[in-house]
Amino acid sequence: MSDVMTEAAAQAIVERADQRFQRSRRDLWVSMDRLFAALMAGQWVFGLVLALTVSPWAWAGRERSVNPHVLAALGIGTLLSAMPIALAFLRPGWVVTRHVVAVAQMLWSALLVHLTGGRIETHFHVFGSLGFLAGYRDWPVLVTATVVVATEHFVRGLVWPESIYGIVNPEWWRFLEHAFWVVFAVSFLAVLCRRGMREMQTLAENGAELEALAEGEWRKSSVVTRAAS
Amino acid sequence: MLDVPQAADRAARGNRLAAAALVFWAVAVVTGFGMLWRYKATAATQADEPPLSWPSASALARTPGRPTLVLFVHPHCGCSQATVTELARLLGRVRGPLDVRVAVVRPVGVEAGWDDTALVGRAEAIPGVTVVRDADGIEAARFAGHASGFTVVYGADGRRLFAGGLTSSRGHEGESFGSRRIVSLLETGLADRGDAPTFGCALASTAVAREEGTE
Repeated sequence: MSDVMTEAAAQAIVERADQRFQRSRRDLWVSMDRLFAALMAGQWVFGLVLALTVSPWAWAGRERSVNPHVLAALGIGTLLSAMPIALAFLRPGWVVTRHVVAVAQMLWSALLVHLTGGRIETHFHVFGSLGFLAGYRDWPVLVTATVVVATEHFVRGLVWPESIYGIVNPEWWRFLEHAFWVVFAVSFLAVLCRRGMREMQTLAENGAELEALAEGEWRKSSVVTRAAS
Repeated sequence: MLDVPQAADRAARGNRLAAAALVFWAVAVVTGFGMLWRYKATAATQADEPPLSWPSASALARTPGRPTLVLFVHPHCGCSQATVTELARLLGRVRGPLDVRVAVVRPVGVEAGWDDTALVGRAEAIPGVTVVRDADGIEAARFAGHASGFTVVYGADGRRLFAGGLTSSRGHEGESFGSRRIVSLLETGLADRGDAPTFGCALASTAVAREEGTE
């Protein structure tokens, strides 16, 4: 009888731990989605300010017209930011939301590189973004980000190689060299993500146990003691 | 209150809508980047052949016996910021003697100070570079330069070694055919070609370019 009760109690704690874990994991994803929504809005403003500052006009002698960079910052920038922001509010915590965030964030790197005229310093945005995405503690998100970077380099390397490598006939595997450094960062971040998730799970289990213990004590206490507390 | 089948139906409809929006979004993003790449990869039209020898009518200074590089820029061209950066990098790679002129094209009728821009200031700050004004683009026309960023290099004997741009695309820093070829030509006298596409704003207004047939 006692064994049955102990097993039932243990099962209840496991279920409670799982619920706590699911809840805190979802809370994390929702808060990360919202954080990225704010970042997307910030990047949109930054991209626009950058385009308006660096090259607002295209010139032909004395004549000027709006530089296509400004239109790119406005058009592509709006597209890149709008979808993750919409999903962050309409579908927070959804698995697709964070993968869309990863795609948009890596493409923001590509757009900012274009807007700053290919400045090598802007490429650091890629690695900063990977660090931000690791905040989801969901390693497949990092895989999506890596695939986006590799694909962008692969396609651009095929149709317009000199824009990346400065030469017209690079070896077919050159995109892998660039992707390697992303994989290098991602492989470590993925381990940290898994570790972070395991810690969340442990915290949930500890919390469930403490909760069960506290409830047991409460049940054992007298009505008078309960009333006094 | 919705019953279970209704809720499931509503959720499925929501998912279909989200999937359609995501497909539309992906297509729009790819199209946008495609247009941006196309714009950045479109070089200026090189209608005329730049003179094979240093034009005798040119008012730009050239020291006989020394190679000379002339870069033509539109003072407001945002794309030429990358060209000036590449010029500075290029000069760091050339070990031999080289006279460098940056000709700032100044259309007639513009107000005083129109051509005192950050771009011109950056060019002036490069050691060994002499910045000159090219009133109404007369010198640019002599060298058949139509776009900002157009660069010509003439050898010590006054013969043309190179004509073209210093960037790999519009306003994009990094390795380029132009810079590689110039360095190779100056250092070894050899290169696979003596030209490269020029990416930058038009030096002349649309009406002038139309008259000259460069648009």
